[in-house]
Amino acid sequence: SSKSSISEKVHPKDLEQLLSTPSWSVESLLPPKTQAPKAPKISSQQLHHLLRLSALPPPENAEEEKKMLDTLSAQLHLVGEIQQVDTTGVKPLRAIRDETAVAEEEQTITLETLKDALAKETIVGKHYKRIQRNIDKVDATNVESWDVLGSAEKKSGNYFVAESERPLE
Amino acid sequence: MLAPTRTALSAFSTRQFLCQRCLRRAKPQPLASASPARVPRRNFQTDGNGPSKDDLPFRKVLKDVAKQKKKLSRENPGSSKNSQKDKDPRLEKWELTVGIEIHAELNTARKLFSSAATSINASPNTHVALFDSAFPGSQPQFQVETLIPALRAALALNCDIQHKSTFDRKHYFYQDQPAGYQITQYYEPFARDGHVTLYPHDFPGGVSPEGGPVTIGIKQVQMEQDTAKTVLQPPSTHLLDFNRVSHPLVEIITLPQLHHPRTAAACVRKIQAILKDVNAVTTGMEMGGLRADVNVSVRERNISLGSAGHSYYGVTGLGQRTEIKNLASIKAVEEAIIAERDRQIELLEGGGAVEGETRGWTLGSKTTRRLRGKEGEIDYRYMPDPDIAPVIVGTAVVEHLQKTLPRLSDDCIKMLVDSKEYQLTSKDASTLILLDDGDRLDYYLDVVQKLQSAFSGNQKVFDRVGKAAGNWVLMELGGLFKNEYWSESRVPSSELASIIAHVLRKQITGRTGKLLLSTKFDGDTRSVEQIIADEDMLLQPLSRPEYISLAEKLLQEKSDMVQDIIEKGQHQKVKWFVGQMMARSAEGAVEPGSAEEVLRELLKLPPVEQPK
Repeated sequence: SSKSSISEKVHPKDLEQLLSTPSWSVESLLPPKTQAPKAPKISSQQLHHLLRLSALPPPENAEEEKKMLDTLSAQLHLVGEIQQVDTTGVKPLRAIRDETAVAEEEQTITLETLKDALAKETIVGKHYKRIQRNIDKVDATNVESWDVLGSAEKKSGNYFVAESERPLE
Repeated sequence: MLAPTRTALSAFSTRQFLCQRCLRRAKPQPLASASPARVPRRNFQTDGNGPSKDDLPFRKVLKDVAKQKKKLSRENPGSSKNSQKDKDPRLEKWELTVGIEIHAELNTARKLFSSAATSINASPNTHVALFDSAFPGSQPQFQVETLIPALRAALALNCDIQHKSTFDRKHYFYQDQPAGYQITQYYEPFARDGHVTLYPHDFPGGVSPEGGPVTIGIKQVQMEQDTAKTVLQPPSTHLLDFNRVSHPLVEIITLPQLHHPRTAAACVRKIQAILKDVNAVTTGMEMGGLRADVNVSVRERNISLGSAGHSYYGVTGLGQRTEIKNLASIKAVEEAIIAERDRQIELLEGGGAVEGETRGWTLGSKTTRRLRGKEGEIDYRYMPDPDIAPVIVGTAVVEHLQKTLPRLSDDCIKMLVDSKEYQLTSKDASTLILLDDGDRLDYYLDVVQKLQSAFSGNQKVFDRVGKAAGNWVLMELGGLFKNEYWSESRVPSSELASIIAHVLRKQITGRTGKLLLSTKFDGDTRSVEQIIADEDMLLQPLSRPEYISLAEKLLQEKSDMVQDIIEKGQHQKVKWFVGQMMARSAEGAVEPGSAEEVLRELLKLPPVEQPK
């Protein structure tokens, strides 16, 4: 892959020339068409294992399998290219969310956050004090009152039904 | 009155019609003894184990086991106990190592990632939020309150609470897991590096196989989701109830530092007790609220495997381990470990090798059975869940929960046994703590406090009140409550204290005290003082002139015995006279010591030397 060196000082008169030719293309992330990809070979067995892990249907014929293997190979090439980037000292991003110190403080769970829950507990006992959570029913109708079984393919009374392929021994 | 349209089952599930005490009170099981309680079969996180034949009612399984055992012992007298004996010579060569993973349902109002209500026996699929059924497009919503019992559990197990912890996805497909992954804490659990100590009183008979207290390290405690309940309809149909999906669980992982099946069983029982002490869980193993997986390996004692052996979080030189999943009772834990240990030893002694497998155990089996080999090992493809923010716990929260943590049983027992105020035996202390969710202990402490204030000026009696109260609360009052539920108002603590005080002051006899107790227990509304006055129960000790006249009368009646004593020197017959004096007087009125003294005076015998 080509590396651009931005460290050189750029003169305004050279700017146009600099910008006229691209220094990098996303194509570098795809396997070159003329030579074998750097990614390791994937066996048919490995492909089938991955498909099973993801509960995806296996290929219907050899042609479809070849296509899947080629796509997977290209994807692995892309992953390999990205792994070339030096990430020492960089914490992995898990989600796009505010990870500043201020945000962290806002998200910290405090006694204030738990105030209501703690208020729902009682202390029982005169000498041997024990905690007891108030076990009266909570009202969760706002999340519970929808037709839970409405989209079920198969149901029996108030239950979802799942058929196992293997009968009991 | 119940509305006519509601089924009995749904009515039963509304908590106001249930005795809350009964729900909370799940009697802990003594080690290695089976209870006929009904255990709903559960398979949470079965990881594709598939349906098993142990979906029979627990009661029936236990009956079958008992029948089999009887049959065996009739056929081979004495041989069935062999594998249970500690004197197995193979154990001198082989050392057992066990690590335990406990999953316990937390005591919360709502679920872990949705605000739907938690439930135990509600009508199926009535407490399911969109996310619980993995409805496309639904998002998790972490319920902060679920942290409260989780933190208490971790603190009671002496863990370090991590300031920041995160949730990960553990992927596998099974019908009780709608999302195709379980949300757990694989990479960054919320608590680490704890420990639990097992004391001799945590073992049956008060005898620890290790000789003394043993401390087991806890690697971590993590929060995770529970799965759906499956009801099997043979041959291969599963009925699914998603009420339980996303019920918060804690998983507690111990270090492999257990070396005896009884210790492992005691460890599970202890952890369950600790969780109940701090109100982190409400239902135990017998109700399906707690389940254990064990990891078992053996190694030769005198041969160090060193780097060739397996290691786990710092514990090195271990043999290859197998995992036994889904043990649903303390008895099962102990028996499965023994069976697996024996299987591994036989295998290794026969020149074979132990494979890293997942095995299962049914109550009543002789050996564990293989569920999944290494080839079938599941690739969970753990990944941080991008939809859930990290959990950041403030130090003030941890401090507050630590400070207000209920006193653990161990501390109570220590206080009751070691402190001069109570001086109970270890056995009595353990019993007292287990009774009635701690209400009995609370009552006992109140009785002692009242007695202490009654005898504050009298040091000699003051030191005896703890033991006396213990006897009355456990044996006398306990005996009356044998077939009834405990109630502290049946005999208020002040009344019992009054009875005991009267007995200690020798104002009434012990027998009178017991009579008073049962009178109050049966509902007499008069105060103890009043009853004593009304029924004239006060002891009337004899005065000296009365002793003398009674003694003289007896001596006159039995002059031939008097002769035996004086002339033939049969001094032991004085005791007979003492007995007669006691029999002829009101109970307790005659003190044997004083009676003998008077008799000897009259008979002109030397006074008995009192052995001091």
